[in-house]
Amino acid sequence: MKSLLHFLTRLLDVVSRLALWIGATGLFLMTAAVAWQVWGRFVLNDTPSWTEPVSLFLMLWFILLVAAVGVRERFHLGLDLFRDIVPEPVRVAMDLFSFVIVGVFGGTMAYYGMDLVRGTWAATIPVLNIPEGTSYLALVFSGVLIVLFSIERVLVLLVERRAQAGAEALAQAHADAALKLSQQTK
Amino acid sequence: AQAQQVTFRSSDTHPADYPTVQAVEFMSEILKKETDGRLSIQVFHSGQLGEERDTVQQTQFGVIDMLRVNLALLNNIAPITRVPGLPFLFRSEEHMYKVMDGEIGQEIMKALEPHGLVGLAYYDSGTRNFYNSRRPVRTLEDMKGLKIRVQQSDLFIDTMRALGANPTPMPFGEVYSGLQTGVIDGAENNWPSYHSTRHFEVSKYYSLSGHTMAPEILVMSKRSWDKLSAEDQELVRKAAQESVAKMRELWKEREAQSREAVIAAGAEIHEVDMDAFMKAVEPVYAKHVTDPQMQDMVERIRAVQ
Amino acid sequence: MELTVLFGTFAVLLVLGVPIAFVLAISSLATILYMGLPPLIVFQRMSSGMNAFALMAIPFFIYAGELMLRGAIAEKLVRLAAAMIGHLRGGLGLVNVTASTMFGGVSGSAVADASAVGGLMIPQMKKRGYDVDYSVNVTVTSGIIALMIPPSHNLIIYSISAGGMISIADLFTAGILPGLLLAVMLMVAAYWVARKRGYPAEAFPGWAMLGRIFVAAVPGLLLIAIIVGGVRSGIFTATESSMIAVVYALLITLLVYRSLSWSDFVIATTGAAKTTAMVLLVIGSAASFGWLLALLQVPTAMVELMQSVSDNPLIIFLLINLLLLVLGCFMDMSPLIIITTPIFLPVITYFGMDPVHFGIVLILNLGIGLATPPVGSLLFVGCAVGKIPIMQAVRTIWPFYLACIVTLLLVTYIPEISLFLPRVLG
Ligand code: NA
Ligand code: NA
Repeated sequence: MKSLLHFLTRLLDVVSRLALWIGATGLFLMTAAVAWQVWGRFVLNDTPSWTEPVSLFLMLWFILLVAAVGVRERFHLGLDLFRDIVPEPVRVAMDLFSFVIVGVFGGTMAYYGMDLVRGTWAATIPVLNIPEGTSYLALVFSGVLIVLFSIERVLVLLVERRAQAGAEALAQAHADAALKLSQQTK
Repeated sequence: AQAQQVTFRSSDTHPADYPTVQAVEFMSEILKKETDGRLSIQVFHSGQLGEERDTVQQTQFGVIDMLRVNLALLNNIAPITRVPGLPFLFRSEEHMYKVMDGEIGQEIMKALEPHGLVGLAYYDSGTRNFYNSRRPVRTLEDMKGLKIRVQQSDLFIDTMRALGANPTPMPFGEVYSGLQTGVIDGAENNWPSYHSTRHFEVSKYYSLSGHTMAPEILVMSKRSWDKLSAEDQELVRKAAQESVAKMRELWKEREAQSREAVIAAGAEIHEVDMDAFMKAVEPVYAKHVTDPQMQDMVERIRAVQ
Repeated sequence: MELTVLFGTFAVLLVLGVPIAFVLAISSLATILYMGLPPLIVFQRMSSGMNAFALMAIPFFIYAGELMLRGAIAEKLVRLAAAMIGHLRGGLGLVNVTASTMFGGVSGSAVADASAVGGLMIPQMKKRGYDVDYSVNVTVTSGIIALMIPPSHNLIIYSISAGGMISIADLFTAGILPGLLLAVMLMVAAYWVARKRGYPAEAFPGWAMLGRIFVAAVPGLLLIAIIVGGVRSGIFTATESSMIAVVYALLITLLVYRSLSWSDFVIATTGAAKTTAMVLLVIGSAASFGWLLALLQVPTAMVELMQSVSDNPLIIFLLINLLLLVLGCFMDMSPLIIITTPIFLPVITYFGMDPVHFGIVLILNLGIGLATPPVGSLLFVGCAVGKIPIMQAVRTIWPFYLACIVTLLLVTYIPEISLFLPRVLG
């Protein structure tokens, strides 16, 4: 069981890093598109019309992909008030519930996202002339990732029976980042 | 089941006192009277339920029952809806009324049905004109190089380019400050919107180009429509038709008020060299009216006297 | 009953520690299912809620902030500010408010302002011994200033919701004094807390050192000049200026300071992507929650209730403020402006309030709502940048809320604060 979980974790490490990198690339390309828009309008006196819909398209995709990564890395903010003060077994139970319900929501998002994709495939995004459904496809990808990451987190919780308090986890994450930064500046 | 009360949810992005909103409220009154309150409409105005594009989808999926939307927003769903928005297609408002109230209007509504929308009535959106902050525009020469804000649509972009301007897509919310700081030189809209957006404060040269008259359309979700009995469908259609006259009356009043107000505030009104403008957009027709069905419709519209 | 499902699910999930973005979306989904509406509407509202052009300022300013942080621009700016007024106790709190006011003159988004200034200031304040909750509190509340100081797209939304009968130019000038008043009030709060907690006063480094620190900070200062100048002269829009900040930060750190390594760049970009995803997912989910509130006519019902209570204008204004503060706790700003403006405007004009004045009160009030839990995008951004739980920030924020509320009351009951400038300039 443990080695199977280990394998799953390593696989999802790759998947989530890939999603994060695609997302980061999307953010960078968005910057480039809007920069080109200003350049075109102000310098070339010929405003490109594709830059706005392209950057919106990129924004939706990168938010949804990276938001799924957030389920795994647990960077989405919640009300940690009670979570932080209850005893460890209760916290584990709360987290189990949380990941299960988020996972179910991810599945619902993928399912109805697909409905949206089908329902809007015939319509086109103005100017870009690609199906409107291609934006909603991001919901499907993100939903599937959320399901996978939630399953992994649930299994980890079941095996380890330990959950860090939110403040503790955040402090840990911050300490790691600070360490990285101080190593770099050296 | 006959006596069951139904309140249709209808969406509009315009504010409560806008003629389209008022017209649908009026339609609701008619329905209530005809059915002893069994059928009525609740209008969610001011875009409470979302932007126009989102509410089109909501109507298609049957989340909301009715929607007032500009025909331009349906262009990417049913290409034939592009036709009434073609530049300089209608000679006058009367010409447009005659076409849209006739069989051509019905044909366009039919084209929406496969996409989950049942057309009920056409409302006015007035005539759209250019305005800018740089200079009076009377000739094509005057249009040269002006950065004119347009909606995200190939047709509008190509039309503006054909007229010699630099079409500049920009989100609606940024247009006012864009005009003020000079990011853009102008925009285009009908009298009431030129007034209500306060764009006249920062862009005072208004040219009577009348380049497009794409009407508004009131549609019903096919899913909601199919739930109605044949008699109720007939009642809804009739009430919608009756609201059209009311809408046009309110619209005319509104247009006159706005026109007066912006002129009083210092806007300058200029006539344009219409023949030259019409000639300049011919390449737009060549590019966008390629499908034989559209070509045929354009010819029939031009033939309507 | 629909409302019981909506708020019941919301409360239960929130208490169980489910992330707020999912709480909002799941309670909307539960209610939609209960009402028998197509569930896909939740996901449509979510995606269009996070996909508006005006929101792009958020990822860009977050990204620029990350780059300035990794590329040491932030540090040089803060060092300058600290050298200038660091000898005041808690000087960096005052610097934070000042920076927010300056950024506010560039961006119309409180959230973008907080992410820019917070990304810049919070880590530096932390380094200099300020508690993170204090830094987050200052950042979060001073983000509201950006809504008041022009440009402000929210005031444009207000004008349009009011049927366009209100001059946007007037609204813009009307926001300046209330914005500055809020800045002063927040500085008072920041100074008071800093004294109480005994935050350090730094030694004055001497004029020669100050000169050197100033020269090193010039490229950073130029960013503000370039953004303000570029927007004012019409080269780019307010939204686009956030992209300019990213490009400028990249160029400066790569070519002038040569302080940005490839790994810095990757960390900055992925970090910005994460923070943006977190913030905009909440905004998207809040859009589906807000859509349901509109559909169930919650704001309308609440107003009707309020109107039946009193006919004294002073009490009505107070009630309107209270109601907006409560609504602002649960919903995001622009949907609330759009929904409440047509409802409140007739009421307030009936009671003799100027619509321009009301616009400023409305924006300030809903701005405060952005800084309050459980739904407050300003608060989320501040906590994400400061990397602390929301409750930790809220526990100590009350002096800053007090400053906001006092400003709100002054702005509500002294119309001249808003109307003086438009009258003089118009
Ligand atoms: Na601002
Ligand atoms: Na709030």
